[in-house]
Amino acid sequence: MPVMKKTDLVLDKRFDPRNCRHTVNGSPSVLHCHHYATLYAQLADDCSLLDGKKLLAEVAEDTFSLELANAFKISGADRLEDRIAVAEQLYAAMGLGKMCVVCAGRDAGVVELVHSHVDEGWIKKWGKRDKPVNFMTAGYVAALFSTLFGLPCRSYEVIESASIVAGAARSRFDVTAK
Amino acid sequence: MAIDRKRVIDAMSKVQVMGNEDGLIPGFNVFVTQLPAALWNGFAERLTRRVGKDMVEAAEWLLVNAAHECGYHTGYGIITSEEWKAIVAPMVEKVPEDILHGAYAVFTAWGWAKSEIVELVPEKKMVVRAYDYYESDVVTYGRSEKLSAYMIRGVSAAFMDLAYGGPYDPAGKKGLRTFSCKQTRGIECGDEYGEFIVTRA
Repeated sequence: MPVMKKTDLVLDKRFDPRNCRHTVNGSPSVLHCHHYATLYAQLADDCSLLDGKKLLAEVAEDTFSLELANAFKISGADRLEDRIAVAEQLYAAMGLGKMCVVCAGRDAGVVELVHSHVDEGWIKKWGKRDKPVNFMTAGYVAALFSTLFGLPCRSYEVIESASIVAGAARSRFDVTAK
Repeated sequence: MAIDRKRVIDAMSKVQVMGNEDGLIPGFNVFVTQLPAALWNGFAERLTRRVGKDMVEAAEWLLVNAAHECGYHTGYGIITSEEWKAIVAPMVEKVPEDILHGAYAVFTAWGWAKSEIVELVPEKKMVVRAYDYYESDVVTYGRSEKLSAYMIRGVSAAFMDLAYGGPYDPAGKKGLRTFSCKQTRGIECGDEYGEFIVTRA
């Protein structure tokens, strides 16, 4: 079985020839392009009947909380700083961009993106936009803080206060416990 | 048929993707991610269950459209890629029909759906069957009344656009949406396989 190690992150990637499924660390995974991700973000943003942005962020939080917990376990990351390193590497390995956790505490924190699949994909497809589009990463960040501090999902509020899609050099996510 | 599906699946399933130093995966003329299938399924399922009966059709159209645009641009990137040229192109005899068969072998190899074309009327109609696909994972017990393979629908229509919709248009203004796809059977609904019929829009 192929195992790819990137610094501290351990990724166990497998292909099952019977059902032709790919898994990463045991979870079914799939390739998609920036057209798909940005159109999902646009759908979430445009959805007026329900809060589509919140829905996408919540789905991301639910999904990534499991993936992060699993990645910490498989990578043997027990200390907070190791888990943060693994989380940043997992984000990059999935192709979502380059994440930097600036600071993290049980009550609050700040996370920045130096590069972003969703933001740069949006710019490539439609050009810049003055409002955030990276609801998926808001969910990832919420999942990270919940997992780091042993709290359930929906324990943190994440607000994107600066965005690459709007022309900022880095995206910024401000995290506060609810 | 000229396409050796087993050989294509065996070779293409080994292609690895990983983020570069910027955490991005450029490839096939697009940026790619490798994300948990649960993310895409979760959003699609929760959205279509919550919008209400009046708006389900509109929500589903948008989900299918996301895949249609993805399939059109990424599909073009795949069939013009170095990997395709090395593995699939040498098997192609009849254009574009063999390209379509090859595309579904790649579709299978990359985990989107274990699928194949079962009927193809050039320029007019294609029927695809999927014997395993991640979109059916929305149901883990019982049967849904809702056919939910939006991604397969969109990509199937896109592949026919690429085959018979004229030259590839990077702006997506011509060619894209020449065809549309409806789903007639679904594993998520208790059927043995998913079935998808593509015809001119």
